[in-house]
Amino acid sequence: MAGNFWQSSHHQQWMLDKQDLIRDRQHDLSKLTEEEYQKIFNFFASIIQVLGEQLKLRQQVIATATVYFKRFYARNSLKCIDPLLLAPTCVFLASKVEEFGVISNSRLITTCQTVIKNKFSYAYGQQEFPYRTNHILECEFYLLENLDCCLIVFQPYRPLLLFVQDIGQDDQLSTYAWRVVNDSLRTDVSLLYPPYQIAIGALHIACVMLGKENLKPWFAELNVDMDKIQEIVRAIINLYEMWKNYDEKKEIQGLLAKMPKPCPAPQR
Amino acid sequence: MGDNFQNKTMAPVMMDYEFKIKTQNERSKVEDLFDFEGCKVGRGTYGHVYKARRKDGSDTKDYALKQIEGTGLSMSACREIALLRELKHPNVINLIRVFLSHTDRKVWLLFDYAEHDLWHIIKFHRAAKANKKSVMVPKGMVKSLLYQILDGIHYLHSNWVLHRDLKPANILVMGEGPERGRVKIADMGFARLFNAPLKPLADLDPVVVTFWYRAPELLLGARHYTKAIDIWAIGCIFAELLTSEPIFHCRQEDIKTSNPYHHDQLDRIFNVMGFPLEKDWEDIRKMPEHATLVKDFKRSNYQNCSLSKYMDRHKIKPDSKAFSLLQRLLLMDPNRRITSEQAMQDPYFSEDPLPTQDVFAWLSYSQQQPNERRPNEQTMRLMTQQNQVQANSHDHAANNAKRMRMSGPNQGNNNQGGGQQEFHQQQQMMYGGQQQGGGSQQQGNFQQRF
Repeated sequence: MAGNFWQSSHHQQWMLDKQDLIRDRQHDLSKLTEEEYQKIFNFFASIIQVLGEQLKLRQQVIATATVYFKRFYARNSLKCIDPLLLAPTCVFLASKVEEFGVISNSRLITTCQTVIKNKFSYAYGQQEFPYRTNHILECEFYLLENLDCCLIVFQPYRPLLLFVQDIGQDDQLSTYAWRVVNDSLRTDVSLLYPPYQIAIGALHIACVMLGKENLKPWFAELNVDMDKIQEIVRAIINLYEMWKNYDEKKEIQGLLAKMPKPCPAPQR
Repeated sequence: MGDNFQNKTMAPVMMDYEFKIKTQNERSKVEDLFDFEGCKVGRGTYGHVYKARRKDGSDTKDYALKQIEGTGLSMSACREIALLRELKHPNVINLIRVFLSHTDRKVWLLFDYAEHDLWHIIKFHRAAKANKKSVMVPKGMVKSLLYQILDGIHYLHSNWVLHRDLKPANILVMGEGPERGRVKIADMGFARLFNAPLKPLADLDPVVVTFWYRAPELLLGARHYTKAIDIWAIGCIFAELLTSEPIFHCRQEDIKTSNPYHHDQLDRIFNVMGFPLEKDWEDIRKMPEHATLVKDFKRSNYQNCSLSKYMDRHKIKPDSKAFSLLQRLLLMDPNRRITSEQAMQDPYFSEDPLPTQDVFAWLSYSQQQPNERRPNEQTMRLMTQQNQVQANSHDHAANNAKRMRMSGPNQGNNNQGGGQQEFHQQQQMMYGGQQQGGGSQQQGNFQQRF
């Protein structure tokens, strides 16, 4: 339940299998390479992040919104609902579930318009944010259905803070690892691994980045499946590798053009 | 809604047509699966509740269908769905399914139907008491009820969920069936996760708890809900089960105030408990409304008041285990109030009679009639007739009406005697604070159809 990951819908229904994930993405992967697919997700994760920051949401809420977004497209093609509509819908729903307080409809739309215009003009040019409140509300019902009403998402942040406490408070380490967890939202790990494992993976990466050799014994004593941790580390490192040679500002318009899109009702 | 926007602006197609049709075809409609027309059993700020049966007859169980007030997903609807989706405990109401009705944007929640609730059970015993037929709630039943309430709340609390609105009407008890006599804690529409609170709770909903069950720290302006606040409410319910009287009963006019400070309610608490000594509640000085308290109240007015005297007047001996547990639940200082876990360890529960899973098991012993095969049924019927009377006289206590039951074919079999109606009017005055207008017509209506 809400306090127990092992009995949660997150664990029981939303720990997906890598093979299933690949199979369910077949439609999209016939139009996009895996890397292009990841770049598109990376882009919409940025939109969710910036929207959340503009709305002054906490990182926990932003992370939950991002997981909703990933869960929806884990089961559906990108063409089912325009991700530009689903992204703010996820933010809207997550803010209610996490009890941030209700974001008014008009504030949500205004923020979307400002964010798209000011921060993502490199992707959308002069095009305005095209959706209105009624679209978000309709989309929200579809989102809730596709999430099978599983709205409580466990995030790696709390386990991360507990691990850092256990290691002995280290602000630099926790700041770095926290950022790695944020970055992990751009990968599939939140669909595939329990949050505590992601937290350990993030700590691992942070230790390597900071050259903290002395924590090896701490990791060795953990009673976890180190293979899983390695898989998580690899997924996040792959993201960093991808970022090295990627200029989103140049490529994203081409990617969005290539992205599978919703088809309208047949004309009669 | 989504179909015509394409024509309005240059907006891209928001949703794939094929996806939309496929989802529509897979979606089941609540009215296709369940019969509930004319079976409204309650109405409140939370919405409407219907008693429902499956249309396909795959089972003949009763279900409760709750149509959430308003349209779309309010924050409280989101919270309710999010939490109930995760909660699983024998003493917490079980959400079976959610229906989203896209055309009218209504949200429906499907639960098992609980025939009884503590409000009606206590009311029944109160009625009996007023008629000088001393039918106290049997001791074993009180203990079983309390134990199961604590068990459910312990589960909620250990999962970082606060109830925040515990009162007899929200404590349901299952009727005949495999779970007979089992407590189900319900109506956690306002429940919330409270580890890492993102906002002070008081900002979200100004008034949450019915005043009678409100902990003193809330009445003094506490900014955060805590486990201890739920424990206080359980203490109040325990006292009410023991005596059939709401322990902190207080006349209340308008509960729609955002000011937490409530003079009359505090006065009532002090009249029962005595005025708190500094040494018993050190942090009372830190309460936001402490200055008002000092201004409005004189300790000397409550010199002769104490919980033991109050309970003694109601025939609960101060040296009994029940009293000692009650005292630990109703400590004024929230920091000293015991937890649900400690309460479940209390010697009261290891002393005879031991708590049972079926709280009605005790009725069979105390009120058994000779030659009756299922003796408790008679008592249950008494309770239902009580409700019949309630409906007839247009009592529409909004919160309590929702699990109103009609006795149907047994209507004529009135064991209650003629004093019932008269008593009921007193009762109505007594519980007047919980009543809200607007329900009587509906009830008159569904009673006929039922």
